Amino acid sequence: MTATLDEQALSATFAALANSTRREILARLAQGSATVNELAEPFEMTLPAISKHIKVLERAGLVRRGQHAQFRPCTIEPQRLREVSTWAEQYRFVWESRFDQLDTYLTQLRSPRGTKGQR
Amino acid sequence: MTTKGDPRDCVMIERNFAAPIGLLWEMWTDPEHFKAWYGPQGASIPVARFDLRVGGERFVGMEMTTPNGAMRMWFTGEHVEVTEPRRLAYTEAMSDENGNVRSGASMGMPEGHPTNTEVRVELDESDGRTHMRLTHEGIPRDSPGAMGWNMAFDKLAEYVKQQS
Repeated sequence: MTATLDEQALSATFAALANSTRREILARLAQGSATVNELAEPFEMTLPAISKHIKVLERAGLVRRGQHAQFRPCTIEPQRLREVSTWAEQYRFVWESRFDQLDTYLTQLRSPRGTKGQR
Repeated sequence: MTTKGDPRDCVMIERNFAAPIGLLWEMWTDPEHFKAWYGPQGASIPVARFDLRVGGERFVGMEMTTPNGAMRMWFTGEHVEVTEPRRLAYTEAMSDENGNVRSGASMGMPEGHPTNTEVRVELDESDGRTHMRLTHEGIPRDSPGAMGWNMAFDKLAEYVKQQS
């Protein structure tokens, strides 16, 4: 049960990291907290677009938003990053998703209808 | 550089598949089958060539769609063990499109990304199901991860290191 939840959380984190804008936002936050406006500066993107990226990072547990009503600065959450930052963890994730695909592919190959034509 | 036995340096995954061992062997060694499953999400495998002998070369091309367009990555290696249908082991390194090994750093990876790793596949059949154990090792301790999505990551990795 817990393992499944962990895996889901892990997937969300990797999905959040699979985007260059979001990685750049994180790299900026690694130097210190920043507001959405500050984070948006280097990008040719609207504020709502940047906010969307930040929400994805927030949901993935990579970023925390402050409570100061107006500015709500963003802060990086190192714990989550640590969990996924080792080479081994990243490869584990890639292999697991490959084997999910292998499972699906094997099921297709072995289904009574067969998919030999696809080879 | 590598410390065997430290789980952080090595990935080990065990899975069961509802298929006979011969078919699992083909999944790994027949390029057409291999291409069908090996690409991680959002990636395809346009090229897969295996010379299935100890010392024989292998070459895999991966294509990923990124917001900045298609990105290709190449991997080369050598077979270390080929024991049909039970054991397959090979080395794996990033390379250019001609199969010349490139260091991770020269491919834009953060410092510490392993240049060469070893993948081992062990298969075992019982009652028509196949148990697979995958081991991927050769990972420098505490090296920052780098799997394509991670290229702009060096500063971050440094930060994480400071925090641990």
